[in-house]
Amino acid sequence: MTTPTLDEVAQALSQMVADKMDIDVASIKPDSSLQSLGLDSLDTFDLIFSAEDHFKIKVPNDQIKIETLHDVSVLVHKLTIEQNK
Amino acid sequence: MSISLNRRRVVITGLSVVSPLGNTIADLTHNIFSGVSGIKLLDAEFVDKLDCKIAAQAHFDPTDHFSKHTYGMLDRTSQMALHTSIEAIKDASLEITDQLKPRMGVYLGTGMGGANSVEEAYIRLYRDNASRLKPFTVLMGMNNAAAAAIGLEHQLTGPNLTFSTACSSSSVAIGEASRQIRHGYADVMLAGGSESLLTFGTIKAWEALRTLAEQDVNDLTSSCKPFSADRTGMVLGEGAAMMVLESYEHAIARGATIYAEILGYGSASDSAHITKPSVDGQAITIQTAILDADIPSEAIQYINAHGTGTMLNDVTESNAIKKAFGDHAYNLSISSTKSMHGHLMGATGALEAIITTLAVYNNKLPPTINLSNPDPECDLDYVPNVAKTLPRLNYAMSNSFAFGGTGASLIFKKIN
Repeated sequence: MTTPTLDEVAQALSQMVADKMDIDVASIKPDSSLQSLGLDSLDTFDLIFSAEDHFKIKVPNDQIKIETLHDVSVLVHKLTIEQNK
Repeated sequence: MSISLNRRRVVITGLSVVSPLGNTIADLTHNIFSGVSGIKLLDAEFVDKLDCKIAAQAHFDPTDHFSKHTYGMLDRTSQMALHTSIEAIKDASLEITDQLKPRMGVYLGTGMGGANSVEEAYIRLYRDNASRLKPFTVLMGMNNAAAAAIGLEHQLTGPNLTFSTACSSSSVAIGEASRQIRHGYADVMLAGGSESLLTFGTIKAWEALRTLAEQDVNDLTSSCKPFSADRTGMVLGEGAAMMVLESYEHAIARGATIYAEILGYGSASDSAHITKPSVDGQAITIQTAILDADIPSEAIQYINAHGTGTMLNDVTESNAIKKAFGDHAYNLSISSTKSMHGHLMGATGALEAIITTLAVYNNKLPPTINLSNPDPECDLDYVPNVAKTLPRLNYAMSNSFAFGGTGASLIFKKIN
């Protein structure tokens, strides 16, 4: 598969957050903190799980150090490049 | 704060159901006294792979009641339980103040807890060969998930316990909750049960036990026939039922409407066989509740029977009633409302406790439907087919017995 761009990853993640949290995707900014979007630690695990499914990647436990949606996008984007080689 | 061990009166001030006979108390009341059956062809994609294709499903869509974020973290069992907790509190017109929160708890019964979530996880692992499971799988599957969700929703910091004694789970929950109030450990309790186990794996497991009813060839809604000579077994159901219980003083002080009083509770164990019910065990359960209520056994006018519709249960329970009540057994009216709503397993005791409460409140006895061919070995008054009205129903009992042998009987009294 072709590796998605950082923008494409960010858009897909925003949509996932909107679906999970029942919020308008337009209200989600790339630099929004996950906490401000209403995600607690469990919701964050669930978001990572969905991202793993969607992008066919595996996020190692020691790499889940994220505060903003942008952090998630960067991490997922990096892993799609590394793991889809 | 001191805890008084004096015996306080316990009353029922709020009711709510999600059931095969409707999701409001008004619908349930209408249907149980009209003899309506909630048993239908099972609506599931796997129905063709079943020998037994009938069930008593609840029509409950979580999207009507909760945000996706809320219902997405909850098994159907917890969704139904949470919904009934909210509605029961509304029905009781109860304001949960900061002062009340530590004095209010949740006691819930369930047989299999988050059965849907567990089965979905196994499908993912074993059929789809997934290498991992959803992060919420443990939290959705655990047996205390529903009680925990209720406690979180209403911020209740009193006792929160889950009882799992198969078919008697929620009768035990209600009885034990009444004792929390009776002995001063709590002022208000949410007590009830929830069950949603109409999954492919669970129904197959029940089929293997050979206790499920055969589909009636003429009318599948009439397939559950308790106390009838041609009964063939039970029909699985699903749903949730919740009561708000509170001390009499608490209810009176806030001007609450009282449906009935919980006067007695008895629980005993057969300890005889894992599935085969025991006359002695059931009779002791009934007698223990009567002793707890401190009334003569002749005061009881109506029994909502466990009445599963299996060959063994209905004769055993009839004989247990005769053993516990003596000649008065023949004066009693008894009905199995499972003929209408099926067997809700861990939620069935709570649904039947609500139906018994409605009987006391309305002076009306729900019928045992599909009873036109009585079993000679079941020779009591089972209120066949048509509801009965009494001038006054003062005392009624609800029985629950279970695989594993834990029985529970509850006694309800009309409030003057």
